[in-house]
Amino acid sequence: MSEGMPLLSVRNLKKYFKMRTPLFQPAVYKKAVDDVSFDVPRGHTLALVGESGSGKSTIGLMLLDLLEPTSGEIIYDGRPFADRRGRERLALRREMQVVFQDPYASLNARMDVRETLTEGMLVHGIGANAREREERAAELLRKVSLGPDALNRYPHEFSGGQRQRIAIARALSVEPQFIVLDEPTSALDVSVQSQVLNLLRQLQRDHGLTYLFVTHNLDVVGYLADTVCVMEAGKIVERGTVDEIFDTPKEAYTRRLLSAIPSLDPAMQELLAQSRT
Amino acid sequence: MAQPLLQVMDLCTYFHTPYGVARAVDGVSFTVNPGETVGIVGESGCGKSMTALSILQLVPEPAGYIAGGRILFEGSDLLDLSWSQMRNLRGKDIAMIFQEPMTSLNAVFTVGWQMKEIMQVHGTAEGEEAYKRAVELLDHVRIPNAAQIMRQYPHELSGGMRQRVMIAMALANKPKLLIADEPTTALDVTVQAQILELMRDLQAEMGMAILLITHDLGIVAKMASQVVVMYAGQVVENAPSRVLYRNPQHPYTRGLFASLPSRNQRGHDLHTLEGTVPQATNWPPACRFEPRCAYRWGSCAKVMPRAIETEPGHIARCHLYDANIADRPEGATEGRNGTEPAAVQAGSPVRSVEAPS
Repeated sequence: MSEGMPLLSVRNLKKYFKMRTPLFQPAVYKKAVDDVSFDVPRGHTLALVGESGSGKSTIGLMLLDLLEPTSGEIIYDGRPFADRRGRERLALRREMQVVFQDPYASLNARMDVRETLTEGMLVHGIGANAREREERAAELLRKVSLGPDALNRYPHEFSGGQRQRIAIARALSVEPQFIVLDEPTSALDVSVQSQVLNLLRQLQRDHGLTYLFVTHNLDVVGYLADTVCVMEAGKIVERGTVDEIFDTPKEAYTRRLLSAIPSLDPAMQELLAQSRT
Repeated sequence: MAQPLLQVMDLCTYFHTPYGVARAVDGVSFTVNPGETVGIVGESGCGKSMTALSILQLVPEPAGYIAGGRILFEGSDLLDLSWSQMRNLRGKDIAMIFQEPMTSLNAVFTVGWQMKEIMQVHGTAEGEEAYKRAVELLDHVRIPNAAQIMRQYPHELSGGMRQRVMIAMALANKPKLLIADEPTTALDVTVQAQILELMRDLQAEMGMAILLITHDLGIVAKMASQVVVMYAGQVVENAPSRVLYRNPQHPYTRGLFASLPSRNQRGHDLHTLEGTVPQATNWPPACRFEPRCAYRWGSCAKVMPRAIETEPGHIARCHLYDANIADRPEGATEGRNGTEPAAVQAGSPVRSVEAPS
């Protein structure tokens, strides 16, 4: 693998869902993702922004190999998904991890934290024995600022922010390269959000992680992302660096999205004022 | 301004729990003037929603009860009203909208049926007239095809449409006060912007006051003229919104502003508030923010801070501004921009807290 090559490339990705239509009527398709292409360089953060239904989460699911694309190619580390079979395909599950929005729904309530963190290691053969896996789990907890006593506890004993840290620790447990962050802070309070964002930034620095950030929160995008793709109705309508998107949005939709967000950022306030006049 | 529309004085709402009494709302006071928008901000569990429910006396019983205080609405205390008098008031003089419209609309009746019901119950309109008013109201909240929506069920509508129906219902009897609890949290950003704009326009037109409860500092900045910041069941700061955003004074408010992510903070760690919110059954004995405060010193753990008027109309509950606290450290003065109160206690985590730029 060469240094200049992006870790992940997406080419002409499409996902159409067949809609229910009356018998004998021609089939109607919902174009959830419609001809989307982008690259994510190693160690970078790409943000997909857009409203619900714009297809950003669907892309996330396809990248995680949890949803079969209708057509198009996903190339991870130089090898298209389609060319990977058997063990090689399974290895993707280790390389690519995900953190979901709702830490109340994404953790298994019947597993204690030890099980949650070691399950993935067991599947992917990380750690020689249970003791070693447990040591790794404790180390992961330390990384996300939780104590080793958390190992014996269950998700319901933790606050929302702590649960999201456990979800992040679980993602890290199989030593991934690439993490899909699907609205990881939208369910959290402001003061907890800042803790989780700091953690994500630090982990990216320490482990050279590559992030795909799916969100509608443009303040978070401005803080964390390197590049931004703005999505509307399954298509990428605009892309650029954070500064390009925020300072010189070209598309009307991007401007509308920017102006819709009540924000304290003075630059945004200015934009807001402009859009009213 | 003549008489305030709503005056909440020293309100206490407690809950019996297996772990003791949870003082969810503990001595909250604020005022809403006619036609004004007041925002209550705070994080989960600070008591902001319970404050709203207490005003309408919808606190879940028997676990919860109003333990003290007064709620003056147009000069008379709502806590003295009988159950049926209170029932006549809800949805008429004071209306409320909630975060998730699907759970507050009745799934088995049409929108029209529910719209008409609220007018019939309060005797403001009947039959054909109620129907006509309902269609008008739906038009008013910018629902296209109002007549058709009247025949539909809540599940057939989108989240934004449902919230519009809720607003239309709330406005049906021309309330003097609208309580909105996280009205846009469940909605998309562009829909949120539309709903907020709609609320502002309707307010200008109908002259009602709005009590807006939210965790989103951006929404409050946009909507409210007066902001009440709550933490751990208490009001920690209360100021006109322009003043608050320019010059936040309570360490908690400052911490909140500083922890907001934005493009200006790129490449830097965000400010974090150390520790977690304490349990409502076990508030810290003196200042409730003391264990997490970067400015704390000896008295903070011993004496409950008073609400101090630091400048006209600006109230902060913090010893930093209390001249009567004997052992105030040197340099702890009014924290205007530039002259930060210094945290001089040895061993306390000293952090610079910046006001939002």
